[in-house]
Amino acid sequence: MSIFGVGLDQPGRSVLLTGNEAVARGAIEAGVAFAACYPGSPTAEVLPTLAQLGEKFNIYTEFSTNEKVAIEAAAAASFAGLRSLTICKVDGFNVALDFATAISLSGNKGGMVIMVGDDPNAHSSIKEEDCRFLARTASLPLLEPATVMEAKEITKFAFELSEKIMLPVVVRCTTRICHASGDVKLGELPTAEKKASLTRDQKFVTTPLFSQFMKSKIKNAADMAECSPFNYYTGPENAEKIVIACGPSYNYALEAVEILGLKDSVGVLKISTTWPLPENLILRYLKSAREVVFVEEIDSFLEDGVMTLAAKYWDEVGKVKFYGKNSGHVASPKGPFAGELDPDVVTGCLGKIFNAHYESPGLPNIKEARDLLNNNLPGRELALCAGCPHRASYWAIKTAVELDGRNAIVLGDIGCYSLGLVRTGYSLLQSVHCMGAGIGIASGLGKLDRFQFKQPVIAVLGDSTFYHAAPQALINARYNQSSMLCIILDNETTAMTGHQPHPGRGISATGQPLGKVEIEAILAGMGIPVTVHDPYDVEGTTEVVYKILQETGPRALVLRRACALMAVKGRKKNRVYVDQDKCIGDDCGCARFCSRVFACPANIWDAQRGRASIDEAVCNGCGVCASLCPQQAIVVERTV
Amino acid sequence: MNQAVKGPGDLIREVLEQNQCTVCGLCVGMCPYIKTVSQKVAIIHSCGLKEGNCYKACPRTGINLPELDDMVFGQERKDQALGFNRGIYFARATDTAITQAAQYGGVTTALMAFAVDQGMVSGAALSGGTSLSPRPVIARTAREVISCAGSKYTAVPTLTALNKAVGEGLQCVGVVGRPCQIAAVRKGQALSRTDPSARIPASRAGLVIGLFCFWSLGFDFYRYLEEKAGGDEIVKVDIPVEGLAVTTAKGTGVWPVDEIRPYIREVCNTCADCTSEWADVSVGSTEYDPAWNTLVVRSDAGQSLVNRALEKAVIEIKPYPEERLKILRKAALNKKMRVLQNLDRPGPEYLTVPAEYLSEIKQQWEELQS
Ligand SMILES: Cc1cc2nc3c(=O)[nH]c(=O)nc-3n(C[C@H](O)[C@H](O)[C@H](O)COP(=O)(O)OP(=O)(O)OC[C@H]3O[C@@H](n4cnc5c(N)ncnc54)[C@H](O)[C@@H]3O)c2cc1C
Repeated sequence: MSIFGVGLDQPGRSVLLTGNEAVARGAIEAGVAFAACYPGSPTAEVLPTLAQLGEKFNIYTEFSTNEKVAIEAAAAASFAGLRSLTICKVDGFNVALDFATAISLSGNKGGMVIMVGDDPNAHSSIKEEDCRFLARTASLPLLEPATVMEAKEITKFAFELSEKIMLPVVVRCTTRICHASGDVKLGELPTAEKKASLTRDQKFVTTPLFSQFMKSKIKNAADMAECSPFNYYTGPENAEKIVIACGPSYNYALEAVEILGLKDSVGVLKISTTWPLPENLILRYLKSAREVVFVEEIDSFLEDGVMTLAAKYWDEVGKVKFYGKNSGHVASPKGPFAGELDPDVVTGCLGKIFNAHYESPGLPNIKEARDLLNNNLPGRELALCAGCPHRASYWAIKTAVELDGRNAIVLGDIGCYSLGLVRTGYSLLQSVHCMGAGIGIASGLGKLDRFQFKQPVIAVLGDSTFYHAAPQALINARYNQSSMLCIILDNETTAMTGHQPHPGRGISATGQPLGKVEIEAILAGMGIPVTVHDPYDVEGTTEVVYKILQETGPRALVLRRACALMAVKGRKKNRVYVDQDKCIGDDCGCARFCSRVFACPANIWDAQRGRASIDEAVCNGCGVCASLCPQQAIVVERTV
Repeated sequence: MNQAVKGPGDLIREVLEQNQCTVCGLCVGMCPYIKTVSQKVAIIHSCGLKEGNCYKACPRTGINLPELDDMVFGQERKDQALGFNRGIYFARATDTAITQAAQYGGVTTALMAFAVDQGMVSGAALSGGTSLSPRPVIARTAREVISCAGSKYTAVPTLTALNKAVGEGLQCVGVVGRPCQIAAVRKGQALSRTDPSARIPASRAGLVIGLFCFWSLGFDFYRYLEEKAGGDEIVKVDIPVEGLAVTTAKGTGVWPVDEIRPYIREVCNTCADCTSEWADVSVGSTEYDPAWNTLVVRSDAGQSLVNRALEKAVIEIKPYPEERLKILRKAALNKKMRVLQNLDRPGPEYLTVPAEYLSEIKQQWEELQS
């Protein structure tokens, strides 16, 4: 159904949508006019969905260079009376937080919604972070859907709420909402004309004096939360045992209570307005409860809030025992503050708390499945894709660093190339924090010479990260004359989140040509000398890296080669194969270099013949392995 | 030569970390882990193997003089100064295109270009590029050989080109190299002879032309040279007796040799071979007439190359003046004595010089004094 379903003008019809599509539909139904995003998993697909329908529903969409710019641009639309949506992941919300904490003081005009993706278990993130604390810090109300259908409804409602209380509203979606599919009942499409208007007398300013006003807005939101249709209770009246849950965890809790046969004694309270909390609603159930369990993902936000509430009203609430992350009773297999919950995990936790027997069925036929797979599936380590130019870059950088011999420090950043941390990325990277941090750290290390720190410093980052967060750190390095080499692994796209365009691609979110913003020009403008090289030429790249490493001061190298997946899309690939007469297998001093050390997933070992081989289905035809094979046994049949 | 099982770890400890790598290039490219850039050789990743050809073939993990003499010439040397040889001449190329490009008489270039032309070798591993950025080159035509003419006084890892050429399927590849490189090629060939399963690309070397070389200069020399050239394009670098001569379009400047001494590579101080004693032919300057070369004919293959080249008038020769030969032998013996620490104590560990060689060196040195 997907994009077609999102755009259907058939109110009342149920269509199957992903959570991300449901949010897009909710925004469309709410009449969104402006959407801005820096892509991040799990919410990366929302903006492309809106971009495809932008023409039809008169929505401006853009990929912004980072989340702070995105939220500021979206605020502009709101100031002009339009409804706007910003989409990011929690890490991006950190970047936007400075503005978020300010706009809560100035307020907004048109409905303004910030969809934030939280990623329990860090499926596609470097850390687990809970955006609810950020929303509270910024004094922005936050809503959490528990299902895909609710994702649409809550998004739509969030625009209305934002306009009513004059604050942007955060919608928190976890990965299981974003990426799951569910039935969504379509609503009416808007008919009103979207017109921007901002007069000279309208002001959006922040002053500490407004903080009381802001608090009263939050109070308004809390009052509205008391009767929100997104909060509800299922279970017996005056239950002594209750579960309070939010997000997808609510569904797990409901299922767990049923499986455990506790429906008559345990009630489940679903909260979607996690901040600010509906105090009276919760108090109503707390008063009768003697045991309260919290089921939520990432951090103990709901738990802390309710416990604070219980303390505030201790004389009414009386003696209650709380179970949750803090007590350690509700925990994923990774622990209470890490990993993901699921029905099995939650049933296990509730079973223990309420003394109800539960034996996890585990996965059916797991042993048979394992036996079957072990013999037939190749082992796949976490690794860069076949033909990935970053692998070639990393091998060259590693070679240059070893030849240099001064123990150069190599700092990493956020992107596919974070895999430089692991064995298949030659364990090259020593740090990975947040976007742009590698350069900031490098600019600091590059000033430690007076403390006898003589090692060369390299910061590695991708092109999209460059536009997102590098310029300030680079200007700092240039201004303060820090001795560091910034290597930009430019694969001409935002590869990790699905090839979204960026300023270097020169096309818009809707595919329109916009003209490139050249990395070299930016660096040249800063006064940082820059060299450009093709990483597929490993030998040449090694020489260039080595040479620049010998220089001092701030300097940059762009290793440019399109992402292998993008390069071969819909095109013929070079055929690469091993001439098994030339490969001498274990007689070669390389000790299975291609399949073991170089670690491209396409380089495999043919155990039967004791020779190297290429998995041609996986190979993307880059031919880099051929340039490194000491027997020159790898043949590249060039078609491109 | 070295019986114990040794590999890359030992190479690092005994050679690389001791600054005893000659940057000949022999081990570079034999496996994917040994790399070179800017006169540095490093093992960039541990292959995990205990034993390796990298160690076995390295010219600095063991050179046995009589063994190599025997392998290359089938007999031991009588001349301890210049090594085994069949004749020494003044020689020069006849083609002015060559002599103009060449360091001196162009004999090296003329002979190798001739060998390529005649199909005696399928290509040649040479040192091309410029004085400021020399690089190993595989020459497949006479023209490409000529484009590599001229001495680069730094340690070019020429043998990487040999490895590459062999990998590309070339058989019988010619080599022009410094003495350490010639020794490396011969050691590789010796290894392949005793163990035919050892895969050493150097064993596919064909004609081997050795240069005279008393030392080469380290990487820092480039900066010095660049400074002396003052930004102008360098046409030629030479080190005649007067010192360092740098020629640019503006003319030739000469600096005292003492100024470049600090750039002499440490490893060259432990080298006892300044005339490429195991080459098929060796070529050097005459230190007398820059239009001519000293040509030392050593092996059968070297002799027949020179014969054919003379037949086709590719080079011309004339007798070596007696007094010049004395000077040359003196210089060579002097270096040997210095390296072998005046023959009293054992010399560098990697060299196996039997007692009779040592006493002959002493004897021939004394003869030269009279
Ligand atoms: C580092 C070095 C030190 C030398 N020291 C002396 C010396 O002390 N006394 C002396 O008589 N002669 C010395 N020579 C030799 C001399 O400079 C000439 O190379 C030699 O006389 C041959 O002259 P030609 O005219 O035949 O050379 P050309 O015809 O010009 O041919 C020169 C050949 O040398 C090769 N070559 C150039 N540079 C290098 C290098 N760095 N390593 C390996 N091969 C190279 C080129 O590939 C080319 O084939 C030295 C050479 C080098 C490279």
